[in-house]
Amino acid sequence: MNPIEQISRRQLLVVTGKGGVGKTVVAATLGRALAASGRRTLVVEVDPRENLHQMMGTPPSGGDIMAAEPRLWVQNLKPQQVLDQIVREQLKLELLTRRVLDSPIYQQFAVGAPGLKELAILGHTYRLLHGLGGPGTPEIDTVILDAPATGHGVALLAAPALVSEVITNGPFARMAKDLATLIDDPERCGVVVVTQAEEMPVEEALELRTALQQRVRRDPELLVINGLYPPAPPAADPGAKENELVSLWRRRRLLNERELSRLKESWQGPRVELPQLPLDRGPELLGILGRCFAESARGL
Amino acid sequence: MELISGKHPLIIVVGSGGVGKTTLAASLGVVSAREGRDTLVMTFDPSMRLKQTLGVGEEARLREMPVAFDAPGKLHASLLDARLTFDRLIERYAPDEESRRRVLGNRFYQHLSGTLGGILEYMAVERLFEVASDGRYGQVVLDTPPTRQALDFLEAPKRIVGFLDSGALRVALKPWFDDEGRLKAASKWGILGRRAERFLDEVVGMDLLRDMAEFFQAFGPLYEGFRDRALEVGELLRSKQTLFVLVTGPGEERIPDTLFFARKLEEAGYNLGPIVVNRVHPMFLVEGTPPASGDPCRPTGWELLTWAGQRDRRGLVELAKLLSREQPLVDLPLLPDEPTDLPSLEAMGRQLEGRLAEWERYVSRSS
Repeated sequence: MNPIEQISRRQLLVVTGKGGVGKTVVAATLGRALAASGRRTLVVEVDPRENLHQMMGTPPSGGDIMAAEPRLWVQNLKPQQVLDQIVREQLKLELLTRRVLDSPIYQQFAVGAPGLKELAILGHTYRLLHGLGGPGTPEIDTVILDAPATGHGVALLAAPALVSEVITNGPFARMAKDLATLIDDPERCGVVVVTQAEEMPVEEALELRTALQQRVRRDPELLVINGLYPPAPPAADPGAKENELVSLWRRRRLLNERELSRLKESWQGPRVELPQLPLDRGPELLGILGRCFAESARGL
Repeated sequence: MELISGKHPLIIVVGSGGVGKTTLAASLGVVSAREGRDTLVMTFDPSMRLKQTLGVGEEARLREMPVAFDAPGKLHASLLDARLTFDRLIERYAPDEESRRRVLGNRFYQHLSGTLGGILEYMAVERLFEVASDGRYGQVVLDTPPTRQALDFLEAPKRIVGFLDSGALRVALKPWFDDEGRLKAASKWGILGRRAERFLDEVVGMDLLRDMAEFFQAFGPLYEGFRDRALEVGELLRSKQTLFVLVTGPGEERIPDTLFFARKLEEAGYNLGPIVVNRVHPMFLVEGTPPASGDPCRPTGWELLTWAGQRDRRGLVELAKLLSREQPLVDLPLLPDEPTDLPSLEAMGRQLEGRLAEWERYVSRSS
């Protein structure tokens, strides 16, 4: 089966990679592709600076689930709010809740306890997938998580197992256990790594794969190589003065090709290539990128 | 602009991920050594080739390594490893073997995800403080971790002090558990205490609480010294002698980020020097319309690079409008190849110097 059809069956897709490689644009592209294929899809962005809405042409989410297209929703998630909400639900009494939330111990604990924030993010997606999102939330088949930069992406996937190790009973423990099972199940959860064909991002993508194998015993399902310069025309005669534009174009493309062949050698598994396009962030860019994505994926 | 003239013994390079901070930090270091100052470049995560150029391997995590660079000033490089520094600090300060083992073996410590009151970030600053205060270097250039973690990193000393003063530690250090690992209060308060214990156990689990309590108790004796040290480190970062260089990428979508970062730095009282917009596509003059392919998924380099040149120019103009006139703002072009060897790093540093001099001339002319 085509790897794209495969990933469209997952309940949870975690999109990760080095900062600045275009994770958000890839998450949005995948979201549109899945929604178009009939899956009810939510793209969750975990970043205090909202970017996703700009790409989708929707108003800022401010933490809410926003409808973007038929069967497609977007949300900017604040982990701290999710944690506070769990405390509220557990304690029920407003006065007690306030005291807990305001106490320095809770604040230190919420920031510092290993894996708790990551668990909050995953827990939120878990509840949505199980129809526990509360009144007014749409039914969701797939959540695409635009995860924080590399190291944090691994931390996110490793969190449930870690939390089940340190917290052995109670609601956090139960949620962690369910999530660990979800992440362990290749039928339900997949990881998409985004990179650019430049030295540092490729380095990080390869390290990320090793870290995923070691810490969550998973291989990424798909590698998306974003922002490629177009193939350059053949070089001018040696000695002839080349146009500066063409020269920059050729050298940047060469750099891309060097990294592409490194990936070809060292990355097992499907790879999709996306071009750099002369378009600003926004719905038009997403539309064309979606076509390029489908085209590249057909060749897999 | 007295950026590379040695007036600022400590230069801190900040900015979001993927904008070329590390390369720029290295290039500043190379120029500084060329000008005769003994220089240390401290970096987090250089590329393989930059590591080879600087000649830093795993050993650079433990000590500063000399770089084979023939210049009047000696050039050194080191890698910051917060976790390793933390481990070493515990080795050094633990009163005895038993408490050392207790901290290092504590599950809470092992999994400490890096943000408990900013301790891990603080460790990196701690190492910086050591080298900055021992006087061996005329110039230290610090590359910071990517993205907004850099802000966490800078705020780490303040947060440590805040944490120590908040009373949370005092609470955490109380002997909460008896020898059998049960909550002491639970037995004292009878049935109410037992209910409290059951409630805590259900919400977070007693094991985690025990681990945390044990961690703080084992770690407690180290904290007092931390407070004074953290205050000193905070002062160093805010000193007029410390200069921040903010690196960013081109394009309008980067602007909010750049402004946010610049504002945060100034609000927090750091000495913000130049903002460097890195990897700006040059403006190419193409007669007529650039040759197009007609296939939107396969733009030609002509289309792409003329578009990118205009986009980056627009971004620069927009950013300049939004910044105060006194704020130094310079751009560096996207290079055909990333500078990784010493000569190309030096060329990059020189180019930055030149751009800053141009900016100064421009400002003095127009005022």
